[in-house]
Amino acid sequence: MIILHTNFGDIKIELDAEKAPKTAANFEQYVSSGFYDGVIFHRVINGFMLQGGGFEPGMTQKDTNANIENEADNGLSNLTGTLAMARTMDPHSASAQFFINVNDNTFLDHSAKTTEGWGYAVFGKVVEGMDVVNQIKTVATTSRAGHQDVPVDDVVITSAEIVD
Amino acid sequence: MSILFISDLHLQASRPDITRAFVLFLQQRANRADALYILGDFFEAWVGDDYRDDLTDEITSALQELAAKGVPIYIQHGNRDFLLGSQFCAISRATLLPEHAVISPYGYPLLLMHGDTLCTRDSDYLAFRQLVRAPQWQTAFLAKPLSDRLEIARQLRQQSRADAANKDNSIMDVTDSEVSTQLTHYAVPLLIHGHTHRPALHLEQTADHQPALRAVLGDWDQQGWYLELSMQSLQLVPFSIPAPDFVHAEQADSVLRASTLFCRSAH
Repeated sequence: MIILHTNFGDIKIELDAEKAPKTAANFEQYVSSGFYDGVIFHRVINGFMLQGGGFEPGMTQKDTNANIENEADNGLSNLTGTLAMARTMDPHSASAQFFINVNDNTFLDHSAKTTEGWGYAVFGKVVEGMDVVNQIKTVATTSRAGHQDVPVDDVVITSAEIVD
Repeated sequence: MSILFISDLHLQASRPDITRAFVLFLQQRANRADALYILGDFFEAWVGDDYRDDLTDEITSALQELAAKGVPIYIQHGNRDFLLGSQFCAISRATLLPEHAVISPYGYPLLLMHGDTLCTRDSDYLAFRQLVRAPQWQTAFLAKPLSDRLEIARQLRQQSRADAANKDNSIMDVTDSEVSTQLTHYAVPLLIHGHTHRPALHLEQTADHQPALRAVLGDWDQQGWYLELSMQSLQLVPFSIPAPDFVHAEQADSVLRASTLFCRSAH
């Protein structure tokens, strides 16, 4: 179990190490190394998802570890409350940024092993603190430093920890 | 200055990414246009102007905001949203166009269509179309309770998907002779349409062998498309629709950083 302590409250996450072993291990690695301490949810779109894990307040991007293999073909679906990895157009380009689905975004699921169809790898779900997620999804957003949908007031992961 | 044409967004609650991309498109791109034309299948389904949800409210207010900036908005019916009516258009401050609309921006005459009627080989669809476009059918449908209408629309979409899977690919594209007939009938050198989800610029001929151009708009999915017409050029422009990507750092001031696939003079 992972707890993301945020300035809106705690979000408890259960990783699916069975179906997404590489992605779950990667996420745990970022948590235990303290990478997520002090990073923000920098892209919040109500009705879609909350994306975070890559920027510090002020939209400073953090250097990440190497990209990981995309495990989106594991049968898990981008349903409300699940966590999946964000990436670039390249399917196998996820590193630290992740997102929490706040809608059943099944169009993000794996459909084919192509650039268009690869989808976004789900690796866990929120088991406690959806009220916190639902509060965050309604924050006011703006454009900042060339990014859209950035919360006006920082939504910060103050710390993240692995618990039993 | 330029005019923008889009179609086939298929806006629906299950694709918040496309809704978001459209709102940003209005705020960042269409706000500088002389006019915006939406050539059908703007919504994935439309069961009557009395139906409202978060999606329709968001789109309505985004269109109102664009209109308030002085950009005229024109909408044509598609095969999905043919029931889009005067009430929606009035609230959204858009003008509903007829199914064949000839306009002359910058003194350049052109014909706008959704494009479904150009696919004359799809006889099953055309028969269905004739049924649902009849005023009697529409009056009867709109008189049904909203829940019934939503259910019928759901069944029709399901049927349409099943039909499309069984149809030969060529049936789903336009018929050359019909394109020629329309270009000749309306005496225009340019036809703009959507529907087929096959974005491209094609050289065509009228019945009397005059050259003409056919611009096919693209549907919005992982990529969006718009056609930009200015005094000098006609460009079909794709842009990426941001899923949970983090490409934004390089995209700097716009998610709509577009690369131009085709650029050809309209003359």
